[in-house]
Amino acid sequence: MAGSLKVRRRARRGRGSSAVRFVFLALFVLFVLVPIYWMVITSIKPTSDYLTVPPVWFPAEPTIVHYTAALFSYRGLQGLINSLIVASAATVLSTLLGTMMAYGLARFNTGGHHLAFWVLSQRFLPPVAIILPIFLLFRSWHLYDTHIGLILIYTVMTLPLTVWMMYAYFRQLPRSLEEAALVDGLSRWQAMWMIAVPLAAPGIAAAAVFAFISVWTEFFFALILTSRHAFTLPTVFRAFLGFQGAQYGEACALATTSLVPSIILGMLVQRHLVRGLTLGALRG
Amino acid sequence: MTQSLGTSSMAAARPHWRHSTLSNFVERHFKWLIVMPAVLLILVLSIYPLLFSMWVNFVNYDFEIPGHAFVGLQNFTTVIADPNAQSALLLTIILSVVNVAIEFLLGLVLALAMVKTFRGRGLVMAILIIPLFISPVIVGQSWALFLQRPFGPADYILSQLLGRPVEISWLTQSPWYYIAIVIADVWQWTPFMFVILLAGLAAIPAHLYEAAELDGVSTTQAFFYVTVPQLAPIILLAITFRLLDAVRLFDVIFMMTGGGPGTKTYTASYYLYQVGFQQFHLSVATAGSWIFLILLSVVIMVLVRRLLRAENR
Repeated sequence: MAGSLKVRRRARRGRGSSAVRFVFLALFVLFVLVPIYWMVITSIKPTSDYLTVPPVWFPAEPTIVHYTAALFSYRGLQGLINSLIVASAATVLSTLLGTMMAYGLARFNTGGHHLAFWVLSQRFLPPVAIILPIFLLFRSWHLYDTHIGLILIYTVMTLPLTVWMMYAYFRQLPRSLEEAALVDGLSRWQAMWMIAVPLAAPGIAAAAVFAFISVWTEFFFALILTSRHAFTLPTVFRAFLGFQGAQYGEACALATTSLVPSIILGMLVQRHLVRGLTLGALRG
Repeated sequence: MTQSLGTSSMAAARPHWRHSTLSNFVERHFKWLIVMPAVLLILVLSIYPLLFSMWVNFVNYDFEIPGHAFVGLQNFTTVIADPNAQSALLLTIILSVVNVAIEFLLGLVLALAMVKTFRGRGLVMAILIIPLFISPVIVGQSWALFLQRPFGPADYILSQLLGRPVEISWLTQSPWYYIAIVIADVWQWTPFMFVILLAGLAAIPAHLYEAAELDGVSTTQAFFYVTVPQLAPIILLAITFRLLDAVRLFDVIFMMTGGGPGTKTYTASYYLYQVGFQQFHLSVATAGSWIFLILLSVVIMVLVRRLLRAENR
């Protein structure tokens, strides 16, 4: 009897708190969506709708002129292409090298904990600490404002992520299949590529997507290491600083162009998000 | 490697190339060879630059003054004596602590609200994580657009809600520029805390709550005696990861205030960028970045050591 009373009381309190819960969630969802909505809407607003009071929440005559202006007059297209090249190449390189290293760490305990934590420490190194010497070295190595230079620096930037995500992943996989393959006459190299890597494919794909997103959204290195030639999409936004020319539509069109691919990719790896954010430390 | 695994009959058919010297070498040193490319790349593009900058610290490396004369500790004294450097460091500390604290609290409440399933939870989840996939540059730009008059609707919305005219210049008026920066950072990174804490909450075994319920413990008590201790290692992990990124704050500053008005919103990263790449006092900026790095490694050592201890427990 007492038990059922308690349960009923708990249920009632649950209903009250769930109302608070939904109000809070609704407010936060609104907080997340409103600036994005404002940006996307601005990208299709005609110029005459910019400064009205009250603000125009949906333009009567949507337009795409800002997209063509952003892509062609502000070199957004060039930035987009550069970003695609750099992010894809760095992702491939980082995933390849990272997976190999993670395999060595997980299966052979190469270098013990020290090597693994040395790689992790790279993740916590603030970019501003290495950007000055990198800038000077890139100038003397002729890597300044080149795709190759950016690809290499982004590979190093994303290696801690790919190494640690895959390190955690390989440790979960059973060794027995690779051991059997070795007994069957495969070399260690073959056992890795033909047995372990295919088994780890979902993890590798997720790690690659996270690496791609972090390169795609990176600004600081690209700002300092590129100028007219290899500049990536995020650096193009400098053109709109302060909005002296009131290029609200162009800025928003470019932002929308940039965030669509990374949000789509992000949704694809949503299941692996906890791993990605904690470099494999948590499974989620 | 145990022989019992697999069949040994297949082993007789080993291809002849396995006996070549190269593949023997690869086989023998395999554990080192597969980590080598990544290690070499990090050595060349991260460790070597750091060592190189050790030398830059003590010479004059300035695009306005030719030559690289040895100047001893002068670069360090210059940066330490610079009031802009001091206020930038202070602002970095304050903003990092405030941002991470707000993000943690909001993230925790969100995680508690989302831990039970309800209709539409998947959609809400997908919306909440969107900011994680957006470039901080775009976050800075879109908040600047949203807040700043005459274009942004923020003042209009506020005046409608409050029923009186609101005229705030979010990016130029004290203290609103600090608040604008915090809003942008909290908008982007609360989901980070939320996602990690939600994973932590979901991993707490249900029988602990059932036991607490049998003991007649109230929801509040259950939160403090079951949830918090169980979640502690994950809280530490989330705060460590977030804090070490929060101190880098640059992109949002760059897009929203440009360090201004004046030097009011200079953070450590933004200050070093200004000194190094706008004024081209590369040596002074390098010395500053080393001071920043040393201060940061103290924080890292404390937090990461705690983290490892919590993991081992």
